[in-house]
Amino acid sequence: ARRKDDDKQPPKMSTPTTFWRLAGMSYMQYVNRAASCVTKALKEPAKSKALARSDFSYNASVWEAGTQGTKTNVTTFSAAGK
Amino acid sequence: MATTMRIAAQRASSRALAQMVQSRGMATEKQIFNQIQSTKNISKITASMKMVSAAKLKGDENRLATAKPFNLWAQSITGEPKVVEDADFSELPQKTLVVPLTSDKGLCGGINTFITRSVKEIVKKTSEEGKTVDIVVVGDKGRGQMRRQFGEKILVSATEVQAPGSYALTSTLASEIMSVAGDYDAICIVYNSFVNAAVYKQVYKVVTPFVTEGEGESLISYEFEPSTKSEILNDLGEYLLSSEIYEAWMDGAAAEQSSRMTAMENASKNAGEMIESLTLQYNRARQARITTELIEIISGASALEG
Repeated sequence: ARRKDDDKQPPKMSTPTTFWRLAGMSYMQYVNRAASCVTKALKEPAKSKALARSDFSYNASVWEAGTQGTKTNVTTFSAAGK
Repeated sequence: MATTMRIAAQRASSRALAQMVQSRGMATEKQIFNQIQSTKNISKITASMKMVSAAKLKGDENRLATAKPFNLWAQSITGEPKVVEDADFSELPQKTLVVPLTSDKGLCGGINTFITRSVKEIVKKTSEEGKTVDIVVVGDKGRGQMRRQFGEKILVSATEVQAPGSYALTSTLASEIMSVAGDYDAICIVYNSFVNAAVYKQVYKVVTPFVTEGEGESLISYEFEPSTKSEILNDLGEYLLSSEIYEAWMDGAAAEQSSRMTAMENASKNAGEMIESLTLQYNRARQARITTELIEIISGASALEG
C-alpha cells in the first residue's frame, strides 16, 4: 500500500492563488471549516445539536500485502489520510 | 401400606425405564419446553430489532431524500449509477480503485454478501481484459469477507464507522481515498441502492479525475474565473468525489436498515412457526407421559387384584 508516495508527485501546479491552498488546506477541509463557522452562528440549543450532527469517527488501517496494519481512530479531518 | 409401596416402586421403575427410552432418541418433554421458551425469547428480540430498524429506516430515508438533490450536479458529470447485475465493467480504465461500502453491524440480511460478490465480478471481468484493480474497503463485514478473497488488493480499510453518516464523515472518507488514489485512473464506488422497504439493488459509479489540459479536457465549454482552470478542477474533483460518496453512503445506509428490517421480520416469522410445531410436539410428549402414568397405575392395580 502506498500512502504518501513522495517519489510520484501529482502534476505540479503553478503557485496556488486560492487562499485555502496557500494556507495548506485542501478544498474539502476549507469547505467543512466554512460550514462549521456557519453552524456556530446558530443560537443554543440548535447550535450544539447541529455541531453534534457532524461528529464522526472511524478506524482506518493501512494494509500491506494482505495483512492489516495498526488501526488509527480518525475523528478530525486532518487525521485522515495519514 | 405394603401394596402402596409396591405400587410406588413399580411406578418408579417403569418411569425410569420410560425415561431411559426417551433420552435415547426423542427429546423429552422438559427439553422441548426449554426449546419453546428460548425460541419465544429469540422471537421477542427479533421483533424488537425489527421495530428499531423500522424507526431508523425513517431517519435514513429522510437523509437520503436530502442527499439525492444535493448530488444531482455530480450525476450530470459522472452519469447515473449503473446496476451491477449483468454489467460488463468495460468502461473501467486500466487501473481502478474500487471502494465498496459495507456495514459494520451484522444481522442485516445479504447486503454485504452481495457487495462482495459484486467486487468479485469486477475483479474477474477486469482481469479478463488485462486491467488491474485495488480496493479500499469501508465497513467491517466487507473487510472480513474480502480479506479472504482479495487480501493483497486491499490498500486501506475503514471500519467501525459511527452511524449515522454526515457530510463531514464522507468528505473525510473521500480525502482518505484520495490520499491513496494518486496513480489510479478512476475510482469505482460499489454500494447498495435503496429502492423501497423491501427491495435494494447493487449499483456502482465511476468517478474519473478531471483532465486539465490536452485531449479530453473536461468542461471545455466553460470559462473559469478567477483562478486558473487547473486549480479549480482540482478543488472540483475533491468536491465531486465527496459528493458522490455522500449520496452513496446515505443510499447504502437506507438499504442496510431496510435489509435488517426484512431479515428480522423473517426471523420472527420463522421463530413463530417453530414455536407452533414445537408446541404440538410438546403436547404430544405430555400426553404420552400422562398415558404412560395411567398405564402404570392401572397395571399396578390389576396386578394387585390378579
